Amino acid sequence: MIKLNNIVATYTTVRGQVRAVDGVSLDIPNGIILGVAGESGCGKSTLLKVLYGDIGFPLTLQTGCVEYGFQGDDGLQITTSTIRQYWFRRISYIPQSSMSSLNPVVRIRKQFIDFLPPDRRKDQVLEEVRAYVKKLDLPPEALDAYPHQLSGGMRQRLMVAMATFFNPDLILADEPTTALDVVVQKGILLLLMDLQQQMKNTMIFVSHDMGVHYQITHKMFIMYAAKAVEFGDSNAIFESPLHPYTKMLIESLPTVGDDHLRQGVIGRPPSLWDNLRGCRFAARCPLATELCRSEEPNLIEYTPGHFAACHYAEKLS
Amino acid sequence: MNSNLRLKIGLAILTVFTIGSLLLPFFNTVDPSQQGKYLKNLPMSSAHLLGTNSLGQDTFWFLVFAIRNSLLLGVAVSLCSTIISVLVGLSAGYIGGWYDRVVMLITDSFITIPILPILIVLGALVRGSTSFFSIGLILVVFSWAWNSRTIRSIALSVREREFINMARFSGMSTLGIILKEVFPYVYAYTVVGFINSILFVINTEAALAVIGLSNVRVPTLGSIIFWALNYNALFIGQFTWVVAPVVATVLLFLGLFLTSTGYNELFALRRGRV
Repeated sequence: MIKLNNIVATYTTVRGQVRAVDGVSLDIPNGIILGVAGESGCGKSTLLKVLYGDIGFPLTLQTGCVEYGFQGDDGLQITTSTIRQYWFRRISYIPQSSMSSLNPVVRIRKQFIDFLPPDRRKDQVLEEVRAYVKKLDLPPEALDAYPHQLSGGMRQRLMVAMATFFNPDLILADEPTTALDVVVQKGILLLLMDLQQQMKNTMIFVSHDMGVHYQITHKMFIMYAAKAVEFGDSNAIFESPLHPYTKMLIESLPTVGDDHLRQGVIGRPPSLWDNLRGCRFAARCPLATELCRSEEPNLIEYTPGHFAACHYAEKLS
Repeated sequence: MNSNLRLKIGLAILTVFTIGSLLLPFFNTVDPSQQGKYLKNLPMSSAHLLGTNSLGQDTFWFLVFAIRNSLLLGVAVSLCSTIISVLVGLSAGYIGGWYDRVVMLITDSFITIPILPILIVLGALVRGSTSFFSIGLILVVFSWAWNSRTIRSIALSVREREFINMARFSGMSTLGIILKEVFPYVYAYTVVGFINSILFVINTEAALAVIGLSNVRVPTLGSIIFWALNYNALFIGQFTWVVAPVVATVLLFLGLFLTSTGYNELFALRRGRV
């Protein structure tokens, strides 16, 4: 179980501190794929940064911490303050764009053993890497190439290979399929699901593509304007969303055979600089009332394991 | 011209010069800088391949020692200044912040101080008695700054790339990132910079010697020209005394230049092959 306790993360800017993640608490069970969704600027990447423990200027963690639920080499529980030592061994990261995430002037195999723990022998590990890469449907020769000699799909597979090679407990994937075409996208998603099933580790998958979330995630976490709006099993969320924002996101998905015009979510998310009162979605919400505009809804468990932050969640279901 | 051919010609010239100037001195028993050893102004012959000069020295042997000394000075100074400039440039560019500002202030001072007037003043103070070592030291002090500024600018741009973030995310140390991720980026540039530095050092030393500010008793490519000019070699018909060091210098420069551009292209090509 990975516990996030009231995370408040801010960015320092010339205008002052802006809260990019504002009081998020979350319990993530082990061995699942958690999808994090929300539009640009809602704080999902910042949440990922906090989860990875990459906190440095201009990002500050004001309150809260992450308890990872697994023990470090010293037998103590790993938290935000100690996670750095376990980067790529216990927690790893799959970046968005593989082209810019690989050093263009260094051969792949050299970049692979950048992650080498000091007590392992180079050639021995390289043999293991070759075998592992082969398992992921990649030609072992790809290791001897420079990044620009490989296709986008191969590069992304290599990134996945790097991130999963040491079998970490937690894998963070930040829109790992955004820059790829759908066929390659499918390959990468299947690979990720496959690996997760074999290794039984926890994966946190950030994407704004609800279709991808529907395909691969077990649980979903939806953010809006730095706040959590809904959290629960993916099936339950897609079947009966408890928050109007989630509902509108799902309704914007096209389905085969249905050709009428899709309704988008009208309006824009509020500026985090404004003095925000009440529900942050109220301005765009068709159900909003005076109560929504004045009082902020809490994240409440409506059915077992299904949380939503809406005054009218029951009405919606 | 084909880059490989260019590199081959360049390396061939350098090899001949290096091996020749390093090995030949072992077959010589006379100190070439000793004056009045032979008759003056002898023409070319089998005993004196390039004749003797107005100081009674064998021109050929003096030239061999000169090439050796110039090359050694060039390589040694260039090696030191390249190491300094890479370390300073990469660390300033990657670490940034106040460290970068302080280091660049010093670097910029060294860039803006005009080197030749300083060297002339320094040379005038110690006129003619400068040791060969201190000439090298002075050249190191004045040759690292420009390269370190360009290397810093490369490091500055590389620092912001995503793969540096990935390297950091994989738990690499700052030194590890500088050496394993950023250095490969400036590697080819560094090699070319190293060769260019050799050119600069040989050139500057020659310039100092020609105006008599280096230690002209030590044979270098510059000191030959200094003595030749001093004794009006061209007027007394001692053409080999002037022409030989000039040809040698031009050939050496050509070799270094071809090697540097040829290597640059080879490095770019190599990344195109698996």
